[in-house]
Amino acid sequence: MVEQLLKATGETFYMVFFSGFLSLLFGLPLGVLLYITSRSEGKKKIYFVLDTLVNIFRSIPFIILVLLLIPLTKVLIGTIIGSNAAIFNLTIAAIPFMARLAENSFNTLPSGIIDSARSLGTTNWQFISKVLIPETLPDQISNFSVMLINLVTYTAIAGAVGAGGLGQLAINYGYYRFQWDVVLYCVIILVLISQLIQFAGKKISTNLRK
Amino acid sequence: MNIVSVENLNLTYEEKGNKNHILKDISFEVEKGEILGIVGLSGAGKTSLLRTLNLLHKPDNGKIIFEQEDITKLNEKTVIPIRKKIGVVFQHFNLFRNKNVYNNIAFPLLLEKIDKEEIKKRVEKIADEIGLTERLNAYPSQLSGGEQQRVGIARSIITNPDLILLDEPTSALDPMITKIILDLVLDISIKRGLTIITVTHDMDVVKRICDKVAYLKKGTLSFFGETHEFFASLTTKEVSEFENEFLTDFEKIKKRESDEKKFIRVVFWGANTHESVIWDTAKDMDINVNILYGKIEELKKGPFGSLILEISGKQSMNFIKNLKEKVYYLEVI
Ligand SMILES: Nc1ncnc2c1ncn2[C@@H]1O[C@H](COP(=O)(O)OP(=O)(O)OP(=O)(O)O)[C@@H](O)[C@H]1O
Ligand SMILES: [Mg+2]
Repeated sequence: MVEQLLKATGETFYMVFFSGFLSLLFGLPLGVLLYITSRSEGKKKIYFVLDTLVNIFRSIPFIILVLLLIPLTKVLIGTIIGSNAAIFNLTIAAIPFMARLAENSFNTLPSGIIDSARSLGTTNWQFISKVLIPETLPDQISNFSVMLINLVTYTAIAGAVGAGGLGQLAINYGYYRFQWDVVLYCVIILVLISQLIQFAGKKISTNLRK
Repeated sequence: MNIVSVENLNLTYEEKGNKNHILKDISFEVEKGEILGIVGLSGAGKTSLLRTLNLLHKPDNGKIIFEQEDITKLNEKTVIPIRKKIGVVFQHFNLFRNKNVYNNIAFPLLLEKIDKEEIKKRVEKIADEIGLTERLNAYPSQLSGGEQQRVGIARSIITNPDLILLDEPTSALDPMITKIILDLVLDISIKRGLTIITVTHDMDVVKRICDKVAYLKKGTLSFFGETHEFFASLTTKEVSEFENEFLTDFEKIKKRESDEKKFIRVVFWGANTHESVIWDTAKDMDINVNILYGKIEELKKGPFGSLILEISGKQSMNFIKNLKEKVYYLEVI
């Protein structure tokens, strides 16, 4: 029993870690792209397309998204159950979420700072890497922790469709076998993980805020 | 040689469909090594004018020739090399919040491929000159307004630009730091042939460092020329708008007005800046002269005196006529 809980916790961590990493890797650049295209006159059309896509993906409930993604998951991952398939689904769901959070934070950058950067002759790339991201870093850390916590809950939902992890354990034992103590342990661990992320995110972000 | 010339510049801001004409047909030029002061009341368009000079705001029409190139033709990408040659200090400083003082000052150098040791040397040198050595590790939120302003100044001159644009560079500084900063700015301008365009409310700044003045009035350039000409050209009413001390004195003076008395404002400039001209002229005339207000100041290019006289007596008109020929400027108030 303890063994099973540990194994499931490990799987949950595995899924959250990799999907979190991948969502950041793709979500943050997408956020940058949204921010940049929304601000340059000639790129309004690109923004409209990206913005609409992000909205569509964000409004599909996760469980439906998993169903819709089945054919693609099968082709790309080779299977539709297990942690790796879940990571794919989680990442697709989290990228637009991360991108939107990042974009919102970028939009809070004061216009005076943008003026400073422009007047010092930054190229687009220098602006993004040396001003936009560093200046909003504390907010981006909080965004990332919000997204990770979201991923924790999503892994639990994914558990219902065979992703493994604490969610699946809770459903197998609780829903099918009425062992409520296992469900309770799963919930406690999930809450602890979320709390831990929340705490760490807040700590890091406060330390970075000057 | 002109480093900047502005020709027929117009700028409008669009706000909720309304067009606000902010800069109207502005033309002036600045020679290399000169210091130009832009003055005017709040909302006159001083900051807007400064912002067009490095294309932070594109003017509607007109030309801005910077080092022989019309920069209004450039876009956000092609203007980058020009911007690197123009330092800017903003009215509200606009420092990077998440970088410490060191990295704020070093920022323009970090954009280039410059050796780290070299950067360190240059930042430390300028921090020393400007009195920020002890604050290099602090973040902008931990600095006083004056310290932030100095960081902004250091950041703008560290790349050895050809031109710097200053927006109220001394507004947050006390008189002593103002003097240090102005001396530093003057020193750099002389040593490196740096050209400076500065917006300011402070007439002392204009007097101390400016060769020329551009006076903006509701978006039009109402005066452009040498500093002493500027002070001489101001109507008495305008002087009172700019100088507090003068305003209080002038209000007292106006209470003394009566039919027999005449009030005149006299301006001296350069070699003949001394009161004896008045007594020489008044000699042998049947008049009374009273000095109600007087001040002789050192402008960058020489002494400048301004007096208000109260005159009474039969030969008043004669006196005024004679005096007018001997002084730089005379106005009957
Ligand atoms: N981005 C903007 N959009 C619309 N109107 C603006 C904008 N910036 C400035 N204005 C308006 O343009 C006019 C000139 O503003 P500007 O900031 O150039 O004045 P200023 O002479 O620098 O004043 P101050 O001495 O108070 O700094 C003002 O009426 C201001 O409200
Ligand atoms: Mg201003």
